[in-house]
Amino acid sequence: MSKIMTVDILSSIKGAQPSEAVNKLFDVIKNAQATNNTSFNNNRNNCVSLDDLREDEVIESSATEKQIIIENFPKEKKGYLVVSKIIEE
Amino acid sequence: MDSQIHKIHQQLANKEMSCVALVTEKLNALKANTHNTVNSTLEDLALDLAAKVDAKIANGETIGLLEGIPFGIKDVYMLQGTTTTASSDLLKNYKSAYTATAIQKLLDAGAIPLVKENCDSFGHGSSSENTIFGSVKNAINPDLVGGGSSGGSAVNVAKDYTVFSIGGDTGGSVRQPAGYNHVYGLKPSYGRISRYGLMAYASSTDCVGPIAKSVEDIRIVLNVMSGKDVKDQTTYTSVEITADSITDASEIKSVGYFKNFIESDAIDPKIKADFLNTIEKIKAKGIEVKELDFFQSDILVSTYYTLAMAETASNLSRLDGSNYGNRIDDKNLKESYAVTRSENFSEETKRRIVGGNQVLSQGFSDEIYLKSLALRDAISENFEDDFKDVDIILSPVTPSTPPEIGNSLKDPHAMYLSDAYTVGFSLGQLPTLTVPQGTETGLQITAAKTNDELVLKFANFLKDTI
Repeated sequence: MSKIMTVDILSSIKGAQPSEAVNKLFDVIKNAQATNNTSFNNNRNNCVSLDDLREDEVIESSATEKQIIIENFPKEKKGYLVVSKIIEE
Repeated sequence: MDSQIHKIHQQLANKEMSCVALVTEKLNALKANTHNTVNSTLEDLALDLAAKVDAKIANGETIGLLEGIPFGIKDVYMLQGTTTTASSDLLKNYKSAYTATAIQKLLDAGAIPLVKENCDSFGHGSSSENTIFGSVKNAINPDLVGGGSSGGSAVNVAKDYTVFSIGGDTGGSVRQPAGYNHVYGLKPSYGRISRYGLMAYASSTDCVGPIAKSVEDIRIVLNVMSGKDVKDQTTYTSVEITADSITDASEIKSVGYFKNFIESDAIDPKIKADFLNTIEKIKAKGIEVKELDFFQSDILVSTYYTLAMAETASNLSRLDGSNYGNRIDDKNLKESYAVTRSENFSEETKRRIVGGNQVLSQGFSDEIYLKSLALRDAISENFEDDFKDVDIILSPVTPSTPPEIGNSLKDPHAMYLSDAYTVGFSLGQLPTLTVPQGTETGLQITAAKTNDELVLKFANFLKDTI
């Protein structure tokens, strides 16, 4: 079931409202003529080819990297990240 | 050939100065500077690396061209063990766990990082005022903005605090401050340099961009950072650009410019007159100059910002204070996310996140987001057609001269419009170089995608022509 959410909820920013400056940008798009209806163009394709995918393997982070990641935790207990409460909804 | 890198390399190799003395001098200048270009210095690391370079020279060993050359890093790049704040409250204590590919390549070549440089928070801005470290002041006139978002990087190069700096360009963030501070700044072809370790703003246009005082130094740094990287699968294999290959521009027969950029009411009359004067000088050299049709500036700006905001809303959704960042706890996790983001993001960043979520939301995505994607395709197609007719496109970097500090923050819409001449080339993923010539805020040289070499070639030609 779809649920319409307001931008402050979508953005996790309390009281956030659409701004006039940004709406002016959107108005230009609404009124613009998008004449392009051409098919897929390789020159603008940044996807990697199926023949060129990286190896599907686990790469172990260095001990230093792991240590810094833990240091960056706002709250840490025995090497685990601590959060206030799990959302149950 | 102008090149600070070559000059310093010779001085180090000939023992005319020590690397420690060089690095110390630059660090002292950075620390004393009043332009607000510094978020943090990397003093211990830099002096340690410099001592190793000196030891190598003392042992009679040969040093590489970039070995011992001091450089700056916009504070959105990871460098393991250093703070990477993105000039934001949210990440003011964040410590990089790993090193960006582009920066690692410079370290591997022996270059010495001195400083994490001030910028608009998360790259959100065109003036380098949207930062917790104080507005960056212009190198030429400190009452004016440094330009954004890589303002600290451009000012450091202009003031000789760094030999070169690594900025990040999404919609003009290297080219515009380079123009405002009279230095060279390159946005390479999208994918030429790995984005791995560059904090993502708008992933489809984010580029790693060098800022320096000469074309040759841009070439050297570009070559070192370029290359395919499995950690960024949008990268491609590129060929090294040699010094010889960019000295002869005789293959460039035609140059185009967008007449609607120049005929616009918004352009400063002096910038317009100077640009047209440059066009005459190019014609006098026997190069054909063609007027080109293009999308109106407001469509370019709106298309860019719509897509960039959508991408930034997605990219910054991870910044909720749970895994890292300045968390503010509340009654439950969901409330903690909301309070953390409300308190720690700047007004400009929040404006962009909200705008991005707006266009991605039900009822808006077809009308605005998908239409912007179609417009982007049409813009790219326009470029492809243009480059069948001309070798190079030349344009001013900005319609106006740098604003006074404080003015951009009052009028965000005007700030977005100041990117009118840079964002189109970002949407096209084209290589574009700001050169500090031709107009008060420089000129922009653009070539077809992946033809970065031609851009540098034309820059050398312009250096000798105007």
